[in-house]
Amino acid sequence: MRTFIAFLLALYLVFFAAAAFESFGEPQGLGRIAEHYAAEGFEEVGAINLVTAVVVTYRGLDTLGEVSVLFTAASAVILLLSVFPLGKPANKPSSIVLLTMKVLPGPILLFGGYIIAHGHLTPGGGFPGGAVVASAALLVLLGCTQEVGFAKWLTFAESMAGFSFAMLGFWGLLKLGQFLNNSVLFLGIPGQLLSAGIIPLISAAIGVKVASELSGILVAYRCGGGKE
Amino acid sequence: MSLSLVLLLSSMGLLLTGLVGIMAKKHLLRIALAFTLASTGVNILLVWTGYLAGRKAPIIDASIEEIATVAVVDPVPQALVLTSIVIGVAVSALLVVVAVLTSRELGTADVRRMRNLKW
Repeated sequence: MRTFIAFLLALYLVFFAAAAFESFGEPQGLGRIAEHYAAEGFEEVGAINLVTAVVVTYRGLDTLGEVSVLFTAASAVILLLSVFPLGKPANKPSSIVLLTMKVLPGPILLFGGYIIAHGHLTPGGGFPGGAVVASAALLVLLGCTQEVGFAKWLTFAESMAGFSFAMLGFWGLLKLGQFLNNSVLFLGIPGQLLSAGIIPLISAAIGVKVASELSGILVAYRCGGGKE
Repeated sequence: MSLSLVLLLSSMGLLLTGLVGIMAKKHLLRIALAFTLASTGVNILLVWTGYLAGRKAPIIDASIEEIATVAVVDPVPQALVLTSIVIGVAVSALLVVVAVLTSRELGTADVRRMRNLKW
């Protein structure tokens, strides 16, 4: 009965959402902003992947804010779990986990680094690459029985990455009078690895920041220092 | 059935499942799971708003033969969803921590037995 009432209520909400989206009609083409990005983005920022161009340069200020939201959530998790620690993991990892945690983190880190480095060329960039790197940390944490060594470096890596993202923005402000201007570095030939101005650098900063924040959350869940 | 319709239907289905789960489920972790389902539905809905049938991914490489403005889908919602996914991960991590700590404090994860805030 309760589920049925909840279903009706949810159906009501979703129906209005669907009706609102239906009233937009089928989109016939790009909007004005998207059209500018599609037409000029290639020349302006030198990145062939327009999504990364939008995330990192055109709306880079929003991404800076978004990274701070991520930071706030991660610090809330870490704060809560350091005040109320979950205690030591109860069960011992199986031999499969123990073996794979010795073999797989290297390839996973390599793949994550590849995704981060090719953010301006292929789908990817700092956010997905950072999440892939954090999955290597997850694998290590699944097999851990005591406090892990890299935990204390995470805060340092995270703050350095955030600082360098902001500094790359101020570089543009000082040199060309525009925050996060992409032309402070050479744009290069679009499609090559070393091109697209500061986009690879910002991708790397975002990648390090996302990876260290997500691993920080995971470490707080399991095998963190904390007060036992 | 066109891809656009599939995207819209799956997003609405996920949103519906998630909302029902948030309202009707009793275990805190199930509510957190339902929340992530609903946020996935919203992400798919945002991607759908930028989808244009027959166009390619917004990557300007050699496979784009015409002018880019008529050949690629809208990159703006995709960029928005990219950030939205990461925020969703962080928020659900926080949600799970609060759920775990609450259930430990009260000795139960069943919302029907959490009567401290009821009047």
